[in-house]
Amino acid sequence: MDERRFTQSELGQFNGKNGARIYIAYQGSVYDVSGSFLWQNGEHQVTHFAGKDLTDELLEAPHGVEMLCRFPMVGRLKEGD
Amino acid sequence: MAKVTQEMVKNAGVNIDELVELLIKNAAAELTTFYYYTILRVNLIGLEGEGIKEIAETARIEDRNHFEALVPRIYELGGKLPDDMKVFHDASACPPANLPKDPTDIKAMLTVLVKAERCAVRGYTHVCNLTAGKDHRTYDLCLAILNEEIEHESWFSEFLGEGPSGHFLRRGETSPFVSKFLR
Repeated sequence: MDERRFTQSELGQFNGKNGARIYIAYQGSVYDVSGSFLWQNGEHQVTHFAGKDLTDELLEAPHGVEMLCRFPMVGRLKEGD
Repeated sequence: MAKVTQEMVKNAGVNIDELVELLIKNAAAELTTFYYYTILRVNLIGLEGEGIKEIAETARIEDRNHFEALVPRIYELGGKLPDDMKVFHDASACPPANLPKDPTDIKAMLTVLVKAERCAVRGYTHVCNLTAGKDHRTYDLCLAILNEEIEHESWFSEFLGEGPSGHFLRRGETSPFVSKFLR
């Protein structure tokens, strides 16, 4: 199956609002964190929001990027978008 | 109303609404963990379970103390606890520490406990990072809680065989770091 490619704008639709699924991006990969208790309503610890590339924010998080391994990768961000 | 308190925090560049929401979420995590740990503790039975019961009880009581210590700061900063207990539960900064399907599986019990403590350690590190050098009272409070959460994590981690905690269980009073906020 072809890997889905997301523009930033398409990713932004997966923000957890109005029943939308909850996707976040890290280093070009897009993950579905809808199943996480800690991402309810598309928000994480008040200061982080879904539908965005969180690469920079994850580098400053009090946890490692290995957290993302728990969630399905659903595609890639389009390069240069 | 702690008007100047709020003014100082805002002037230091802290988003006070975000901070209050974070404190409420962490207070929810503490109170719900106190509840779920009650269920875990009563199910820690048998030769293996009884050996863990005492530290589980200490962590349970200290988590309740953390809730008690957080509440005044939430109100000082202009926040309030939700009227609805269910809303409060669901706003928790950490997932429920549910009883494993097989409560006699001590490794599963310890895994629930250590995961809950690790979530708390991350949560308070986050609040400390946001408030360091800006909101001294919230920082001091969350640092005190963080100190205790780190100890809880190390106790359960040690029982899981991940490595020595480096210290012994509590001797005497609970909450050696947070007690100054409970007087």
